[in-house]
Amino acid sequence: MSPRPQPRPLSRRGFLVGLGALAGAAGLAACSNDAPPGPPAPGVPPSPTTTTSTAPAAYEGEVAWIALGAALSGLAGDLLGQAATGAAQGRFGAVPGVVSAYLSGAAAQHVAHAEAWNRLLAAGGRPAVTGYPLTVEPALRGRLDAARAPIDLLGLAADLTGTVAATVTRIVGEVTDASAVTLAAGVGPVVAMHGATADFLLGRPPTAPTDPVAGALTPDALTV
Amino acid sequence: MTAPAPADVPILQTASSLVELTLDTYVRLQRLAFGGGASAPAPVRELLAAAVAALERARTDLAEATRDAGGRVQTDPDPEYAPVVEQALPTVRGPGDAVGLALTLEDVLAQTLVSDVVELSAPPVRTTVAGHAAAAARRKALLLTLQTLLASGRTELVAVPPDLLALPPGAGTVGFPDVLFPTEKASPPTEGTPR
Repeated sequence: MSPRPQPRPLSRRGFLVGLGALAGAAGLAACSNDAPPGPPAPGVPPSPTTTTSTAPAAYEGEVAWIALGAALSGLAGDLLGQAATGAAQGRFGAVPGVVSAYLSGAAAQHVAHAEAWNRLLAAGGRPAVTGYPLTVEPALRGRLDAARAPIDLLGLAADLTGTVAATVTRIVGEVTDASAVTLAAGVGPVVAMHGATADFLLGRPPTAPTDPVAGALTPDALTV
Repeated sequence: MTAPAPADVPILQTASSLVELTLDTYVRLQRLAFGGGASAPAPVRELLAAAVAALERARTDLAEATRDAGGRVQTDPDPEYAPVVEQALPTVRGPGDAVGLALTLEDVLAQTLVSDVVELSAPPVRTTVAGHAAAAARRKALLLTLQTLLASGRTELVAVPPDLLALPPGAGTVGFPDVLFPTEKASPPTEGTPR
């Protein structure tokens, strides 16, 4: 019987390769104030939703926090992307262009974050998180299904990005690997910016949470 | 729980110096009629008030962390950017200028705090600083959005709540230009140490 391969320590080099690609995307985004590409045209079916994931017990200890980041960023990207697609299909009435642009733009960045978290897992020899294996996923998806107007979409986005920002801030203090700390440090403020924009569009006061980790998920929320 | 290490002291002192300067600048902008006064656009007035409250919390948290690490609390403003503020404040003529000055400081503060998160040794302090980095980033996002709207010359767009149908699509994304928060403008850890 051959020995079971041991997961490698999280590789800073491998992670930095992934960060390079992300920095390229960031540079492109920073060069333009134009709205990002919109969602697929009406009639194009949304990408299938997967709610289960890969091999069980793949994520333990510090790695579980990284997997949590991947799963939650992926879920946020999927939900906001689905909201943008539904808006383009007329599911939510007349959706202002600023709301559609917000949903598409924030979704794209959440997806990029999920890819970065997964590259970090891969660099350590762990499987990437596929789907959205989180206990909170059905309730959040139900909230999107129940949305009827643009204001509902913005409310979902504000709450969802609040959860992601709090969780990523919590991850900063739970991991020790330098690459993981670096990624969490760079992701959290961007997600906070998503939240600030949603709050502005909703007309909410510009207050930041006094407890930055209030409402954060923990690895207990992972279903893999 | 890991206590802050002595090596964290200059990082925390520099962060404190930037917070002191940014907080003081917001307070001075609040005194202007178009900043915190009656003629100020509501989103600008609300942002200034929220920023003062959040930065006062940051000042308290950073001071506590500095003391825990065995250092002297920095209460002076950042020496690199204080002259910039003194030069800029007399030229602030309207809400667009106020937003521009605040944005300059918030960007440096947020980038410095993000960089600090990676450098700090104690996880609880990393979390605290990350929380303040996120708060600064939230303010930066709103400042970027307000700056764009004010620059358009359509001041009616700067309202609470905004007219979603009138806002340009770019207003929905201008507040988050980067996939990862940048750090190239982060102040070096020794910039704000007491002299």
